[in-house]
Amino acid sequence: MRLRRHLPWLALVLIAFIAYPPQWYPESVRMLQTSWFGAAPYHALPASTLPASLAPEVYCPPDPSGWRDAQTIEGVAVRASPPCVADNPHLVAAVVRGTNNVSAETLANSGLTPDAVEKGRDLDGDGDPDEIHIRLEVAELNGGSPVRKAPVTRYAIAPGVEPGLWVFAPKLIGMAAETFESNEARYSLRLPSPAIRIEQGDHVVITLENTHYMPHTLHLHGADHGFTDASGEGNDGVPLTSEVPVMPGGARSYELTPRHAGTMFYHCHVQPHVHVQMGLQGLFIVEENRPDNWLQTLNIGAGLVRAPSKAVSESYAQEYDLHYLDLDKQLVERIQANNDPRLIAQSMHRDYDVTDATADYFTLNGRSFPYTFRESIVVADQDERVRLHVVNGGTMGIALHTHGHKFTVTDRDGVALPDAARSLQDVVWLATAQRVDLVLNFTNDGLHSYGPGIWLFHDHQSRGVTTDGIGPGGNISAIVYRQYLGEDGWPKNRGVSWDPYFTPQYYRREVPVWQSYAPGLFAEPGGDRLLLLRLLVLALSTGALGALLVSASRDR
Amino acid sequence: MRARAASLWLLVVLAGSASAQHEHHAGMRMDSGGIVMNANHDRLPRGCDAISGDVAFTIHAGREYAAERPGIIFGMSQHEVRVPPCSRVTVRFVNDDEVRHQWMVHGLPKYLYPAGMFHIEAMGQREMTGTFIVPPEDRTYLIHCDIAQHMEKGMRGQLVVGAGSGDLWGVPGVSDAFYRASYVPAMAGVLVVSAALCAFAAVTAWRRRARRRGSPG
Repeated sequence: MRLRRHLPWLALVLIAFIAYPPQWYPESVRMLQTSWFGAAPYHALPASTLPASLAPEVYCPPDPSGWRDAQTIEGVAVRASPPCVADNPHLVAAVVRGTNNVSAETLANSGLTPDAVEKGRDLDGDGDPDEIHIRLEVAELNGGSPVRKAPVTRYAIAPGVEPGLWVFAPKLIGMAAETFESNEARYSLRLPSPAIRIEQGDHVVITLENTHYMPHTLHLHGADHGFTDASGEGNDGVPLTSEVPVMPGGARSYELTPRHAGTMFYHCHVQPHVHVQMGLQGLFIVEENRPDNWLQTLNIGAGLVRAPSKAVSESYAQEYDLHYLDLDKQLVERIQANNDPRLIAQSMHRDYDVTDATADYFTLNGRSFPYTFRESIVVADQDERVRLHVVNGGTMGIALHTHGHKFTVTDRDGVALPDAARSLQDVVWLATAQRVDLVLNFTNDGLHSYGPGIWLFHDHQSRGVTTDGIGPGGNISAIVYRQYLGEDGWPKNRGVSWDPYFTPQYYRREVPVWQSYAPGLFAEPGGDRLLLLRLLVLALSTGALGALLVSASRDR
Repeated sequence: MRARAASLWLLVVLAGSASAQHEHHAGMRMDSGGIVMNANHDRLPRGCDAISGDVAFTIHAGREYAAERPGIIFGMSQHEVRVPPCSRVTVRFVNDDEVRHQWMVHGLPKYLYPAGMFHIEAMGQREMTGTFIVPPEDRTYLIHCDIAQHMEKGMRGQLVVGAGSGDLWGVPGVSDAFYRASYVPAMAGVLVVSAALCAFAAVTAWRRRARRRGSPG
């Protein structure tokens, strides 16, 4: 009779005791058990779960239009571009000759307007034009919309990574999108803002046509320009001291006749702590004056200069522009969250606090790894000398490091260093907005170069080689010797498969890092169903036990 | 993608040189004022026996046409264009800003209009005029400016042929934005919860009083 009354709770206690996972017994109990029975029998750890199969992008998109090839257009020798994605050679030729001086066909192939880069008279009679009029617009990439959730005028810096961006853009005729359906940004509409090249002593006018919905200006950082222009208008681009910003739909011209050559910088100076970091910045290179010096006024997306200047060609085999920029995810996503410009202005300029900011994306010439390998590798032969113009437009500083090579810094902030200050180094620090000109010497002497190969170059600070903390990503690129470059422009890598890196899932943290060559070894383990079952039984029995206790105390 | 763009340009260039001989055919007309692409003066869309009539519009674009409507930056003097089926439409597009603007119609039959579009683009403070013929079906077509963010920040319109096929979302002055910010004060959450509590308290009090009145004792 008595036993029957106590049977339910006794049974529950027994069930709870059996369900309790033995690996959670106190250690002293477990040791006692061991001394009696030895170790518990083998119980395999949960098997690895293999992630769903990934569909990697094509590493190296084909080049059906032959843009990579060396070609002569409008009498301009456009050099071959060895990496798999090349600039539009028609655009290169159009900006060398001037969009006002080329045929309708070349202009149409370039995509530029007839007034995008106008070249006028030869003022010093040395065979090249000295009156240069450049028109720049302002474009937003990956912006918001009142009718769709996906970003508009899409531009991916890495697979699936589409941060909101503002760029100075060449004046292109027609649509911003490649096609209406795809909504992908047009080929020449991209990060970084184009590198601008002019000649020392040129009479340059840059008209900023503000196609964007916020006010902007153009500030020529480090380049010799007057505080006011010839007509007495402000010419420095600084709203605090020089002028009222260019409002949406408005335009303003800036003038300069630079007396010194060097690698300079240009950027917007409206709310610069936000606008500069959105991408409104570009390289501004003043080349030395030479006779018959037809310059490639714009270098779209920076990278290889396909029609280098006379002065550079005298001493170097090739010339590259390298533009480093880091981006803060918490800033760049703000233009996607709302469409009302008033809310965007509040979110970016009042809610966003740059003093709490950290950078998340690290780009070289507007892309992060692995896209950097499509267009921003340095390709060279043994014994070549290569010129690099480098700017760090980001907030965090860059410790630029080359594998397999030591380089010489010849110029800092557009000014040549004295010989005594030049030495071989393999890391150079670039503060924010700093420029350096480097010489890479491909002589295999164990110092300048260790010989042919695929040698990385990257920011040696850990965050710089990641994309939002996932590596490999960020600004990793490579120096590739020609013998290591495939026909299609893709390096003949000897390492691991890059399939995972060409998927958005990898940068969304969904793919175990060594999956491609050790499938399962470091994959995510499956769940322990038995343990889960034990815990459920334990929970049910203790719950029921509790209910019995409560009702018993009430009855009393 | 790039090949596609290049071939589009090629098509445009070839058609453009053809139009030098046949003035009124599709292609691109370009001068320092801008471009007109895929103009069509005389080729009838399928299902049209004849041009039903000529209609003409002057449409201005620029910042000042956005001034009346909060939350947009660029605008057009007219965001909706209504035309009869099979009519020949001539648009004089006047750009009052100092930057480029476009008046582009999408979704037209591709056998007449490459990529299904008719496109007028005017440089800053210039104007361009173009003509095209609309198909016979009642349908609403998207009009926009495809310079980055111009459609999103106001330059979105609709071309209504005949009775149309229903308004498009997000046309300023015509239809609402599909995604719209809430525009309620920051304290709205507290306000909503306290309103709900008030209602709860009021109904409880009313029920209690009703019960007290109804009870015999």
